[in-house]
Amino acid sequence: MPAIEAQNLAKTYVVSQRGEGFTGSLKGLFSRESRNVEAVKSVSFSVEPGELVAFLGPNGAGKTTTLKMLSGLLYPTGGTLNVLGHVPFEKKPEYLRRFSFVMGQKHQLWWELPALDTFRLNAAIFDLDDKRYRRRLEELNELLQLDPLWNTPVKKLSLGQRMKMELACALLHEPELLLLDEPTIGLDVVMQKTLRDFVTRLNREKKTTILLTSHNMEDIETLCRRVIVVHHGIILFDGDLPDLVARFVPAKQVTAMLKEERPRSELERFGPIQDYNGLRAAWEVPREEISSRVSDILNRLPVADLTVEEMPLEDVIRRIFKEGAV
Amino acid sequence: MRKYLTLFIMSWQKQLEVRSDFIFERGRSLAVLFSLYYLWSSLLTNRADVAGYSRAEMLTYVIMMTLLRAWVLSNVTDRIPSEIAQGKLSDLLLRPISHFGYWATQDAASKSLAIGSVFIEMTLFVFFIRPPLLPPPSVAAAGAFVLSTLLAMAMYFQMSYMLGVIGFWTAQSWGPRFCFEVFLEFSAGAYFPVDLLPEAAQKVLAWLPFPYLVFHPLSIYLGKAGPEQWLSILGHQVLWIGILTLASRGLWGAGLRRYAAEGG
Repeated sequence: MPAIEAQNLAKTYVVSQRGEGFTGSLKGLFSRESRNVEAVKSVSFSVEPGELVAFLGPNGAGKTTTLKMLSGLLYPTGGTLNVLGHVPFEKKPEYLRRFSFVMGQKHQLWWELPALDTFRLNAAIFDLDDKRYRRRLEELNELLQLDPLWNTPVKKLSLGQRMKMELACALLHEPELLLLDEPTIGLDVVMQKTLRDFVTRLNREKKTTILLTSHNMEDIETLCRRVIVVHHGIILFDGDLPDLVARFVPAKQVTAMLKEERPRSELERFGPIQDYNGLRAAWEVPREEISSRVSDILNRLPVADLTVEEMPLEDVIRRIFKEGAV
Repeated sequence: MRKYLTLFIMSWQKQLEVRSDFIFERGRSLAVLFSLYYLWSSLLTNRADVAGYSRAEMLTYVIMMTLLRAWVLSNVTDRIPSEIAQGKLSDLLLRPISHFGYWATQDAASKSLAIGSVFIEMTLFVFFIRPPLLPPPSVAAAGAFVLSTLLAMAMYFQMSYMLGVIGFWTAQSWGPRFCFEVFLEFSAGAYFPVDLLPEAAQKVLAWLPFPYLVFHPLSIYLGKAGPEQWLSILGHQVLWIGILTLASRGLWGAGLRRYAAEGG
């Protein structure tokens, strides 16, 4: 049985409109217009237990709204949704005990008190007995090195330190499903890696089903095999990451390091140049022409080194959203 | 139960961390007490009574009213609208804890601190000012007063929780709340006994829940409401709690459906 099953899921917000400036605010006191915004038009997908799936899409694509519907925060205006055998919006305690939703820009830790106090509160809310609470604390501490800071008031922690505490707090009750919304936003590269390693271990060792949204392509490349691309509230692509790249970008990047400098005009004979600095050139080459083009380059140019790679994921995603369809 | 106990203790911790709010609230309470005490004290210096209240009765009313302001008319639910507007409500909705229970516990923690503090303030006030403080006419009246105060606390909490939940519809719900609180304190008898008002106003107020928050419990305490009226007062309080509970539950359910979990 899938962990998540969504059929034609839709969410329309009613957004009130207000005019500009003071006059607009004054008019708004007496009459206010509103318009419907279809954040999610029709989304269908299913996720098996233990999968790690990324939601990709530009701002306003409907990723976070979908995650919020999965968590039960938002009431869907259309479609059906079943998560871990429950209808999320009913918010049954037995459902709430089985998942966790971490939003990168939100915090559940009590600002004025040390994180350990909120941990203790969450342990009580999720009915963890003392033995299980201690064990979980030890496990999470081993993975995230929390103890030097867990007695410091949350407001005194840096963003990265706070994010670690937030994640630990959200995972105290060992959820089967973890929803992560922009988990690495605002973190430095070291902290991003710590977080990614942690998520990978959680998925591999605990078999936690994980759905995440991120604008950080390194998150996606490192963590996820399957991606769901959302744009304008509909799914453009649902499948493996390599398939997305292969399907949307019918070309690879061939990069040659040259032993001696060659003029750009000479190199352009081998195809449109993506990148050039005299000694290094990169071409975008159609997949079916790779072998002939590579052999041509090797025969005609003084090549020191040559690599054939997929296009950088950031470029792929940019193309998808620019061109609008897969 | 353990979750609410842990929450209660944490709420205390938090209030001790954020001392300024607490100190200002106590300062406000003392200012109201002193101003009303000396106002009525001077008004009744050369008069036997005002509308049936002797000087001792009126000053006892003012002192006990200060206690009820701390016990009944204090609340922490004014934070609910901003919690809704900024999407902080999401944190609570994602955990197996009742939103009502969460705020009721925080309210109880806040009240318990205020009660402790107001007792100390009153003791010092009585010790230094030596006001004519009357006891209740009987042990039964004291019991009925305590019961009525407890029901008033439940009533006011339901009322202010309901007002907090209106935050689902209006982002800036401080406006309605401010108007509500001014009207409420006036019509609850939190400045003076409402039977000083013209009869027409009293008739209107009889249909509203507000006088059951301060005025009626104090009528029991002062013996102005005899045992034959106790049942009616307590019954009305229970009825209002029922009505307010149904209304706030209904609003909560409807509000959740339009909640946009903004800011995330």
